[in-house]
Amino acid sequence: MSTPALVTAVVAAAVIIASRGLRQRAQAVVLPIFTGILLFAVWHLLAQASWYELAMPGQPVRTIERFPTPGRVLPAFAELASDGRIFRYMIASLFRVATGFGLAALVGIPLGLYAGWSTRGGYAIDPYIAALRPISPIAWIPISVLAFGIKDEAAIFIIFMGAFFPIVTGAATAVRSMPIAYSRAAHNFGLRKWELLRFVVLPAAMPQIITSLRIALGIGWLVVVAAEMTAINSGLGFLVVDARNMGMRYDLVVAGMLVIGAIGVGLDWLVRRLERLDSVRWGFSKE
Amino acid sequence: MTVAPDPNQPPKIVVRGLTKRFRRGNEEFTALDPVDLDVAQGELVCLLGPSGCGKSTLLNLLAGFDEASGGTVHIDGEAVRTPDPRRVFVFQEYGIFPWATVRENIALGLRRRSESERHEIVERYIDLVGLRGFENSYPGEISGGMKQRVAVARALAVSPEVVFMDEPFGALDSLTRLSMRQELRRIWQLERLTIVLVTHDVDEALQLADRVVVMTSRPGRIAATIPVGLEHPREPLSPAYGTLRKQLFGLLGVVDGV
Repeated sequence: MSTPALVTAVVAAAVIIASRGLRQRAQAVVLPIFTGILLFAVWHLLAQASWYELAMPGQPVRTIERFPTPGRVLPAFAELASDGRIFRYMIASLFRVATGFGLAALVGIPLGLYAGWSTRGGYAIDPYIAALRPISPIAWIPISVLAFGIKDEAAIFIIFMGAFFPIVTGAATAVRSMPIAYSRAAHNFGLRKWELLRFVVLPAAMPQIITSLRIALGIGWLVVVAAEMTAINSGLGFLVVDARNMGMRYDLVVAGMLVIGAIGVGLDWLVRRLERLDSVRWGFSKE
Repeated sequence: MTVAPDPNQPPKIVVRGLTKRFRRGNEEFTALDPVDLDVAQGELVCLLGPSGCGKSTLLNLLAGFDEASGGTVHIDGEAVRTPDPRRVFVFQEYGIFPWATVRENIALGLRRRSESERHEIVERYIDLVGLRGFENSYPGEISGGMKQRVAVARALAVSPEVVFMDEPFGALDSLTRLSMRQELRRIWQLERLTIVLVTHDVDEALQLADRVVVMTSRPGRIAATIPVGLEHPREPLSPAYGTLRKQLFGLLGVVDGV
């Protein structure tokens, strides 16, 4: 048991409890920093608790480090960066997500708008969306590999399946929940069919569409890792399984996981920027 | 100044035997019993009644948003079947688009005008309803009263002959409501419009209307049509106003005073 880590954990916990007395603005800074410190310290302690000593006859006693500590993961980043692997894999994964997600939006938004707007479209499309939606995108992996082989296309298809359904459903629901006064006003002021779609239905649905895009991109990022673990030989998901399979490099596994998490946060931040556009802000205010 | 309906001119709006029935589950109920109503060119008529009296149903039928179960609506001798920019509807809420600026909202009905004409009309109505300085604001950034002004400006910008208003000031506080009424009178006289306005507020009806159509519920029907022959500005404390007020409350089956 490492004493410095234990002391760090206790001090961090104490600061978190004591921060109650601080002003709110100070708490907003102190709390995230010290919960982070606490998490790393606990990680360190738990990982170290998993270590054990191995004595083989005729050899010096060796320490087997089962789970890596934060201190072991840090150099792993450097290793991944030095041979450029991490950047190649990041780009590979991002390319697949961008393509799969982009295609899902391209098909999903118009289809959802149509299913939501047209009663006939709703009748025809709704039951099949409802039936296909609960199937985990992971379950499509065998079909996808059969169709596309161990290639980019296989991963892209799986991401498409993960992102498509939230987008269609989101767009359709958005149109259906549009206040009737909007379409009545549009008819009253003489807007024609396409103008109605372009200037009323689409902007009215936009905030909810953005929310569904945000959910879909999150799912896409979850799914790409799973797809790369089984259906393809590159990308961050592949990095994670490959590091384990080729020499039990759990430091690289964890480093890969952290990169996946960080990119996920970045993607979400990007979509949330859309919520601030002038023409959709109304849909996100609390009023 | 009250516009007296010209007996030599045919009425602007002619409603005959208009009914609306809805199905609710297996039950059919009558939202509007057969209604007859004439509205003269340039007249401001208020439909007054409690919730469920069919006043909004009637207004939606007049505007062509709904299909009648029976009877007819003619405006200028032409049967009303669909909404039309010559007769515009001002909604209580949600009527204006939150994703568009004040200026874009007012320009909604002007898509087929030339750029310069559209610009000229929009600017004129921004001034008319007192929204100068807020042209580029979004509805979420302005007050309820201003939003209602946008709705009015958007309606007037298409030079309609008839304006339908469904409790246009219902969502506003009582002081704003009062100034919006004065504003509406002013614009109505300026633009020589025919207005049919739905309200459940007796004073709103008495302050605005040339004629008050009192409606009662179950089934929705017209109980009485009361001409308001008072000069403007109307003084709520005058005996004549008080008499009319009592009469309207009486027709609605409510005793005024708590």
